[in-house]
Amino acid sequence: MKDITISFTLNGKPITIDFPPTMSLLKLLREKLGLLGTKEGCGIGECGACTVLVNGKAVNSCMMLAAQVEGKEVLTIEGLGTKENPDPLQISFVENGAIQCGFCTPGMILSAKALLDKNPNPKREEIKKAIEGNLCRCTGYTAIIEAIEAASRKK
Amino acid sequence: MVDFVGKDILRVDAFDKALGSILYGPDQNIEGALWLLAKRSPYPHARILSIDTSQAETIDGVVRIFTAADIPGENSFGIIPVTKDQTLLAKDKVRYIGDAVALVAAYDLKSAKEAVDKIKVNYEELPAIYDPEESLKKGRILIHEKGNLLCSSRIIKGDIEKGFSNADIIIEREYRTSRLEHLSLEPEGGIGYFEDGRIVIIASTQNPHYDRDDVARLLGLSPDKVRVIQCGTGGGFGGKLDISVQGFIGLAVYHLKRAVRMVYSREESFLTTAKRHPLIMRYKTGAKKDGKLTAVKVDIIGDTGAYASYGLAVIMRATVHATGPYEVENVYVDGKMAYTNLPWCGAMRGFGVPQIAFAHESQMDILAHELNIDPIDIRLINAFKKGSVTATGQRLDHSVGIKESLYKIKEIRDKYSWSKKKGERLGTYIGVGVGSMWYGIGNTGVPNPSTAQVELLPDGSAILYTGAAEIGQGSDTILLQIASQRLGIAIDRIKLVRGDTLYTTNAGATSASRQTYISGNAVMDSIDHLEDILKAEASEQMDLPSSELIVKDGKIFSIKDSSKSIDIFELVKICNKNKVRVIGEGRFDPPTIKLDPETGQGVPYATYAFASQVSRVEVDTFTGFIKVLNSASAHDVGKAINPKMVKGQITSGVAMGIGMALMEEFVPNKTKSLKDYYIPTSMDMPEIIPIIVEDKEPTGPFGAKGVGEPALIPTAPAIINGIYDAVGVRITHLPANLERVIGELLKKEGA
Ligand code: FES
Ligand code: FES
Repeated sequence: MKDITISFTLNGKPITIDFPPTMSLLKLLREKLGLLGTKEGCGIGECGACTVLVNGKAVNSCMMLAAQVEGKEVLTIEGLGTKENPDPLQISFVENGAIQCGFCTPGMILSAKALLDKNPNPKREEIKKAIEGNLCRCTGYTAIIEAIEAASRKK
Repeated sequence: MVDFVGKDILRVDAFDKALGSILYGPDQNIEGALWLLAKRSPYPHARILSIDTSQAETIDGVVRIFTAADIPGENSFGIIPVTKDQTLLAKDKVRYIGDAVALVAAYDLKSAKEAVDKIKVNYEELPAIYDPEESLKKGRILIHEKGNLLCSSRIIKGDIEKGFSNADIIIEREYRTSRLEHLSLEPEGGIGYFEDGRIVIIASTQNPHYDRDDVARLLGLSPDKVRVIQCGTGGGFGGKLDISVQGFIGLAVYHLKRAVRMVYSREESFLTTAKRHPLIMRYKTGAKKDGKLTAVKVDIIGDTGAYASYGLAVIMRATVHATGPYEVENVYVDGKMAYTNLPWCGAMRGFGVPQIAFAHESQMDILAHELNIDPIDIRLINAFKKGSVTATGQRLDHSVGIKESLYKIKEIRDKYSWSKKKGERLGTYIGVGVGSMWYGIGNTGVPNPSTAQVELLPDGSAILYTGAAEIGQGSDTILLQIASQRLGIAIDRIKLVRGDTLYTTNAGATSASRQTYISGNAVMDSIDHLEDILKAEASEQMDLPSSELIVKDGKIFSIKDSSKSIDIFELVKICNKNKVRVIGEGRFDPPTIKLDPETGQGVPYATYAFASQVSRVEVDTFTGFIKVLNSASAHDVGKAINPKMVKGQITSGVAMGIGMALMEEFVPNKTKSLKDYYIPTSMDMPEIIPIIVEDKEPTGPFGAKGVGEPALIPTAPAIINGIYDAVGVRITHLPANLERVIGELLKKEGA
């Protein structure tokens, strides 16, 4: 199958790239672009480890064709914050003990980011709902919920 | 004075994880690395007549296909040295759906998949066994040549018949649990290459030194020809103790001398990695009217599936812990572990104790109701205290915080007036359940040492070398806190070298809740040795005998004249100048006594963690849906090195316990992906009150024991007992899913 070419904004920078038309957004990010912060936990839309933001909405990148982001804005964990300039959510996750093995963390933080951008002062139940699709096998979610609450208070 | 123990130090690895910059197994890559993919058996039990790889080999992109004939060493592995019965690539026979029979190395995954499909294996199907009791019947087909019984374990204390004849009440019940999947969010993965005459494997693992030794054994190499490096590990829970991709990667690098990578899909991970052992537990418990236990008799049959893995450890642990954390004079426990042709079972958070605790705590709850005693009080009446003797004859002299944990949860239950009542919605009822547990830290009655080294550098910093795998539970941070407190050096001045078999020595597995206690002690011991080295040097420099010197606040002083002192880093400089590295080596092996094979008497563990939990649940009698509303867990951890992380373990365990109690069940042949296996989400979590009890363990580092597995154990019993309190039905087969709850409710109505 012939490659296709699309252009989109990745972590704030415009890019144009070729890839096979059947490639998922997750594979494009990880395998073609080397952005390994986006994780694959299941590949079938059940775990949320592959969550990225597309036009500000949290999506499972394993379930989306890369071609579908044509002209859109994609944000991955690498674009959210850096060592020198981390996002408040990243700091809050660290400070509130919301990270154990860390495999769910990038997806979890991006789901939280989508929530807070839309709803800066969510109630506990709204936070739980927003991360329902992000599985975490380690933390029991409590510290994650607290971290998101703490970040929202700081906003 | 530095103060790092008992403080909520932030995890040392958290920031990189938040940035997404830690590389896990599936993230490992080297330009040009070949992909590996295994061909697996579609039959649960079959003889391999032939394997034809010729067609597959012609596929473009395929580099090589391996079969059992290519394994140069012993084609058998397994974590327990006496039961290595698993083949890397099956030779004569396959024993479960998923047994690997061939391995493809290809330039890309697509070609590897094509090749796997084209490999032709000729099988002769054999009758398969799916039930452990069936498996042990005479005349059944043998799954392994030595027979279908993997092992047995027995504990005998006192006179069981006398115990029952003294009882006023006897409760007999059978309990069953299901096969469970660890479901670490990170699937197994890694990479390998050849360097400096060695096979190097970078993989996600709980046990780098074991990986190295078993890979070397498979390849017929000495262990120093294999180097294993633990990369970021996205959860383990026991599922990454056995080797998975490591063996395949080792084999391919051995033959090809080039970089290869292997990543399990979630489906492959479901199908081919260890599961939690389902146990059948038949209990007979006798007690006096006042609630005092007189006798406990237990018969346990476990299903280890196709291979041994940790089956021996699980059955031993289940038998040892069968009484629960209670004094019982007369005990008889018999455990057997049988092979079946189902997915193999290994270690999973708690090694059999979560299963057995569900049973002994259900028995306690039944007794409490029958005798009309408060469920917390009946536990207090029987709970271990200092001086109690366990079923294996071990006297508990220190750090027995079970009663304290019960007082703590009683306080919470009474303070918030948690009690049985009608729910707000029609048909819902609320109940309160209690669960307690004990858990022996470290492996059962066998040596399981850890080693570590600490080195001082002339710039005032230090390096801690440890083989202890960080799998998310936090040992990197805990060991650094221990080192920093003991050395009197700030934590950010200590560099950690961890989990690389070339630079670190064996710390044993990250399992059995053992790293804080055992590796923590190894770190303490290495610093003791470090101080000896410093004193020897100081004695020369100061011209004083070593025995007159003490180390304090970063200096070495003369006991007799405190004006005479020398800075320890001055000494390091002097030593380094003379080409001497100031490096202390430490080791700790918990003192245990092997259990007698006939009676089970001995000292299985040097110390135990204790815990109690109270959970408030809501039962919807229309749907069978159970919601856990609140939970309070009190854990005696000896000393919390990092209280925040201990609390993190507790909420973690409650989540996994909710899964075990209410939803998780791996059904062989049915469970294939995350679509058929549910674990708790954020919506399933109750409000949790974690409580730390600190009854210091004198042999632990700063008094610490462990909490990783204990965190999970009391949860399922507390929930199940809560269901009984709410609606009067007793679930004896986990999980208490909708069908089981509705089924029991209907039975009760019918009766
Ligand atoms: S990897 Fe996309 S949802 Fe699991
Ligand atoms: S921290 Fe391990 S899966 Fe969430």
